[in-house]
Amino acid sequence: MKKKALLAGTIALLSIVLMACQDKDNAEVSSNGGETTKVKQTLHVAALESAYGKDMWSKIIDEYQTENPDVKVELTADKNLEDVISPNMKAGNYPDVILLATGRKLALTENLIKDKALEDITDVLDKNVYGEDVTIKDKLIPGFTDTLATNPFNDGKTYLAPMFYSPTGLFYNANLLKEKGWEVPTTWDEMWALGDKAKADGISLFTYPTTGYFDAFVYSLLLEVGGPDFYNKAMSYEDGIWETPEATKMFEIIGKLGKYTEPTTVANANDKDFKKNQQLILDNKALFMPNGTWIVGEMADAPRADGFEWGMTALPAIETGGDRYAFTFFEQIWVPSAAKNKDAAKDFLTFVYSDKASSIFAEAGAVQPIKGNSEKLTGDNKLFYSIYDNGAKAGMGGFAATDAVEGVSIADTLFRSIDSIVSGDKTVKEWQKNVEKVSDQLRPALK
Amino acid sequence: MKKQKKMSVEKLYRLFIYVALLTLAITIIIPVAWVFIASIKEKSEFYTSPWDMPKGFYFQNFIDAFEKANMGTYMLNSIMVTALAILILLVVALPAAYVLARYTFKGSKILNTLFKAGLFINVNYIVVPIFLMLLDADMVIRGRFGDGFLLDNLFVLALVYASTALPFTIYLLSSYFQTLPSTYEEAAWVDGAGYFKTMYKIMIPMARPSIVAVILFNFLSFWNEYIIALTLIPGPNKTLPVGLMNLMAAQKSATNYGQMYAGMVLVMLPTLILYILVQKKLTQGMALGGSKE
Amino acid sequence: MKKTTEKRIFIFVCTTPALLLLTLFMIVPTIEVFRMSLYKWGGFSNNQVFVGLNNFKILWNDMNFIRSLQNSILLIVVVTLITIVLAILFSTLLTRENVKGGNFFRVIFYIPNILSIVVIAGIFSAIYDPTSGLLNNFLSVFNIESLQKMWLGDQKIAIYSISGALVWQAVGYYMVMYMSSMANIPESFYEASSLEGAGRITQFFSITLPLIWNNIRTTLTFFIVSTINLSFLLVQAMTGGGPDGSTEVFLSYMYKQAYTNSSYGYGMAIGVVIFLFSFALSAIINQITKREVLEY
Repeated sequence: MKKKALLAGTIALLSIVLMACQDKDNAEVSSNGGETTKVKQTLHVAALESAYGKDMWSKIIDEYQTENPDVKVELTADKNLEDVISPNMKAGNYPDVILLATGRKLALTENLIKDKALEDITDVLDKNVYGEDVTIKDKLIPGFTDTLATNPFNDGKTYLAPMFYSPTGLFYNANLLKEKGWEVPTTWDEMWALGDKAKADGISLFTYPTTGYFDAFVYSLLLEVGGPDFYNKAMSYEDGIWETPEATKMFEIIGKLGKYTEPTTVANANDKDFKKNQQLILDNKALFMPNGTWIVGEMADAPRADGFEWGMTALPAIETGGDRYAFTFFEQIWVPSAAKNKDAAKDFLTFVYSDKASSIFAEAGAVQPIKGNSEKLTGDNKLFYSIYDNGAKAGMGGFAATDAVEGVSIADTLFRSIDSIVSGDKTVKEWQKNVEKVSDQLRPALK
Repeated sequence: MKKQKKMSVEKLYRLFIYVALLTLAITIIIPVAWVFIASIKEKSEFYTSPWDMPKGFYFQNFIDAFEKANMGTYMLNSIMVTALAILILLVVALPAAYVLARYTFKGSKILNTLFKAGLFINVNYIVVPIFLMLLDADMVIRGRFGDGFLLDNLFVLALVYASTALPFTIYLLSSYFQTLPSTYEEAAWVDGAGYFKTMYKIMIPMARPSIVAVILFNFLSFWNEYIIALTLIPGPNKTLPVGLMNLMAAQKSATNYGQMYAGMVLVMLPTLILYILVQKKLTQGMALGGSKE
Repeated sequence: MKKTTEKRIFIFVCTTPALLLLTLFMIVPTIEVFRMSLYKWGGFSNNQVFVGLNNFKILWNDMNFIRSLQNSILLIVVVTLITIVLAILFSTLLTRENVKGGNFFRVIFYIPNILSIVVIAGIFSAIYDPTSGLLNNFLSVFNIESLQKMWLGDQKIAIYSISGALVWQAVGYYMVMYMSSMANIPESFYEASSLEGAGRITQFFSITLPLIWNNIRTTLTFFIVSTINLSFLLVQAMTGGGPDGSTEVFLSYMYKQAYTNSSYGYGMAIGVVIFLFSFALSAIINQITKREVLEY
């Protein structure tokens, strides 16, 4: 009896599945047929749904379609954008425009860069912004299109356009420091002094969400110890660069910082539990953490100490009067070489920098590197984006693109090892040696 | 004197037995029960001691998980794929297992070895080649008919599930067939029944306990599987565990543990209920697979 | 004559579908893994370069791979040993001793095995959390804070914490398996040896263990395959291989190379090594554990 019921059930299900399959096929055939009859051009836009949310993209698309009635925009916005688009890309269905930054865990953008599968968009920068009389280049804050993050082959050609930028730095509870009467440290020596004071009060000086957050931190520190020239050499794997006294200083500072790090940090420094580390700042258990402006929205729902107030500062200087840096991330928007509608894609690129578009983005908290944009901001964001008005310098651009080298990853060696530095499983010397070794291995693979 | 000592040793031994059993039982019950309890906690309660009881029944977690994370659709997908995969598996594996267990023929040794070797193939590292293969096939089909249909197809997913479960299922079924006395078949032949009829009317019904075991095991593994489903279904037709992964990923940027635990409960509950209902059959079934080679 | 033709047709019809599916979805992809291990390929472009055994040569010097190998072997050994001991212990207790509520215990012990590995990862994250975790809070209730650990943060412990979750998951399954094989041992054996004055321990070693030996041997193969498999799924969901690679296992390293380091061919070479390794290990263990089969 039971068995029969089961069998009947499975057969019923089977027929449902078959029907579902048929429906799907039919639907696809008809939609294909529809496309050929209409003259409408279809533009496929894929965007990472980050902390800014998905709505702003829908609005942008709506706006663009109103302006261009003969273009039909298909939008794919997802938190795990790579999972959604890369199977389709392998199948030959490339989106025409993709907003996806480098530095993501799955490194899809980097993979395409390594494969030279991005469209050269240098000419787009000289075009006028959609519906405006100014070129994109002139509208952008200078410096944003001169970095390895936009020109990955360091040949003056731009392959990725800068979109939402976000200064990074050390985040802290401004109210806690005020209450305790502590100054925000401006040099590393002041930082260590504050660390000892805080320790006496049972507060750790430092924590970090995951070692992935050290990228901006290390980049800024490299700029502080050696300046921009040194930085670019390091980013393009120059021989011996990681063994110079400047680099040694950088390694030593992080090594020392490890001793001031909150003890549970390493245990939670993974993609699943990193929020617990961020919570340490909200709970006044640690003073500083490297992070970006998205932290405010990310932790908006989390409980916090009374009177909590976000503060953000550039990295302390190496010595009094030295340069202080705050690295800025920006998400990139780019066109894959395999896109079917490249011209429409480039047109769309000119639109995203228009006043109309940038105000839609800004509403959602996404700030583009457009001159004068930061003045329009309010609240926490105004504080964060004005970090450069207070004397801090902006660092930009990461490592130069290389071919894949089997089993070798600079990010793993340079950043991920910091967990071991903090826990004492590796010495600073070993770490430095490994980084130089990996740099040696990647140099021949430079594009 | 001696006897008394023996008695107390005996008592100590009984005590040890229960302490051991209870310890293991507690380490299993508590974490599982804790997830259920956590799933009805409000957000603020996650920042106090994890051992605190919930203040009330915060059902909103479940509504959120169901509505915002699409868990209803995913559950339906999972049910379809699981049922279909089990059906395909039985239709294919039963005759094969029967023949491999009861007949020696040219190549039977090779076949047996082949299926045994399949036990060593770890699904996790052939997923991508399978994906690439379906993709290539899709390209060819697209060239001919305008659109590929092998990826994003729940039926194909079920077929892959069934195929990857073949080695273990055949191993389990044929071990059982081997234990059946051959007198039944001989009697059937004497009655004039053909090979097919003998298998279908006599032998397969006799293997019912092992078939039940096969269904139960594979239900659990198909229901809980996520790597294959993640790879072969890039579209929105996800299965439940992949949905849960998504839900967990979503929680990373919303600090809402309640919803995450509610999602975990949604994935666990059907298997737990089924298990409670059929646990006897399930554990009996294991006798078939493990002990008699 | 007619009979043999009929028989042939029967055998053909019964085995072909299974053989086809096995070939299509298991054997061919496995061959593909082997083939791609000889190529350098990023995964996206059509630019596949034949590099012979070069990927394997690189493997040999890749310390990160060696580490994932060590971790995997450690997991296989630790998980297998602990699980077997516990599973045999509990199955003996539940079959040989007249335990009250034996059925209840059997039902409970099997529960972890029916849970999705995604759920298990969630459960163990909740257990191992350093501050709000069940384990550390439990220890502080009993005032033994000295035993509190960074279960997933301390590189010396993290891999054992992972193995803890794997053992938790597996004990019930193997226990039930051994129980069913113990249930087949005729009671008369024990009665006879009781009359000879044999105690529990003697009985266990002279009757129970030899008679379920074959079953244990079979499960050893299961252990190797499932530990490689489950450790990957668990590590992906729990630690992502961290901190600093200390919980990286075979398959997680393979995925990392194939996807995030765009070295697809190299990833497949790792797959080949895993495959050969698990095969060889099973064969060796099968040889070592060979005993004369005792019949009952």
